[in-house]
Amino acid sequence: MTTIPFNHKMGAHCESGTVTSLVNHAGLDLTEPMVFGIASGIFFGYFHKHRSFTFPTFIVRNRPGDMRKNIQKRLGVKFNTFSFSREEEGMKKLDELLLQGIPVATQVDFYYLDYVPSWERAHVNVHFMVVIGKEEDDYIISDSYFPKPERLKEESLRRGRFAGGNMAPKGFLFYTARVPEQPDLRRPILKGIEKACFNMLSLPVPFIGIKGIRLFAKRVVDWPTFARDTEHLSHEVMKINILLEDQGTGGAGFRYMYATFLQQASSLLHNPKLKELSQQLMTIGDGWREISLFAARIGKNRELGPEKLKELSTLIMDRADVEEKFFKELKKSIK
Amino acid sequence: MSNEPSDELKREIKELIMSTLNIADINPEEVDDDEPLFGGNNALTLDSVDGIEIIMALQRKYGIRLNDQNLARQIIQSINSIAEFIVKEKASS
Repeated sequence: MTTIPFNHKMGAHCESGTVTSLVNHAGLDLTEPMVFGIASGIFFGYFHKHRSFTFPTFIVRNRPGDMRKNIQKRLGVKFNTFSFSREEEGMKKLDELLLQGIPVATQVDFYYLDYVPSWERAHVNVHFMVVIGKEEDDYIISDSYFPKPERLKEESLRRGRFAGGNMAPKGFLFYTARVPEQPDLRRPILKGIEKACFNMLSLPVPFIGIKGIRLFAKRVVDWPTFARDTEHLSHEVMKINILLEDQGTGGAGFRYMYATFLQQASSLLHNPKLKELSQQLMTIGDGWREISLFAARIGKNRELGPEKLKELSTLIMDRADVEEKFFKELKKSIK
Repeated sequence: MSNEPSDELKREIKELIMSTLNIADINPEEVDDDEPLFGGNNALTLDSVDGIEIIMALQRKYGIRLNDQNLARQIIQSINSIAEFIVKEKASS
């Protein structure tokens, strides 16, 4: 078997990067921020106590899988998807698709990717990448986090695809079956923005959207009660930086990527207000980056007393206020 | 106009990094232009927190945005890669 000619591109985030690569390969010219925006990727959720997490945490994007599903629904793209209970079947199906010249997106546990430096590896069950070929015992991987296609041992891919635990991949794979020819992006963009505004402003759940950011601000001062010791607390506070900046967010918890989407949407919809909002969101993103840095600094220096956590809380509350204003304006701008 | 970063720019970047990170015990001359700033044999051995500080300092001083962390990681690899990026950004603006 050889490698499918595939235009490998780096992306900011694994799921939006993977979906973008697949639809681009199928002939649909979309940027990653456009995919992210149409799919209403921007989000906020705070989990103070949750059965899946041992420590309070937050998310800054919609649920894994939602980007693919929303792109399918709003753009008329058709992805075929498969999950497997038996490893052999999952590997066989992948090989069959590759033999047909079809690039295949797979969900894996990031930890098993040989090409990732060992110090960067962590068990994350929802990493997406595209398998574009097989040469001897190696699969050829287009992973949007890396500058060039990488090689991955068959055994490592198998272990990654069939890792256990929370959100286990179960061999999940998907590929593009159909893309529309020259779709009109205007309606999908508006739908994407509408849903993002709904998620951030109106979901009747106290831990989602702006309410979630406010809850995060209020409860972060209680984090020491969950920590075993200072070392543990410091690790968790520093994770704020990782969640906002370092997990394929495109920076500032996806705010920069969404700002780029709004800029592109402004041109396509001839709506100058969206461009103005894009610039506003860039500045809002700078504030999230300040939070990242603040959290990383106090974590690193073990300055985790009540005053510092209160300061962190104030910074987060300020983001809730500016994002509330921003999303209200965004909602109005597309009426 | 040359697209090669000047020695002056490289020195300026080194000074910016050192003032941002409060590094007083190293001379800019000791910092190798090509050696990785993170985990290499450079006089400056930095960590990921320092990385964000550098990104924000570059944004403030030169008005360049390094929003995408994957790209940012490549650009802040060494003094040379930062200098090349600044020259490229200035040329395209």
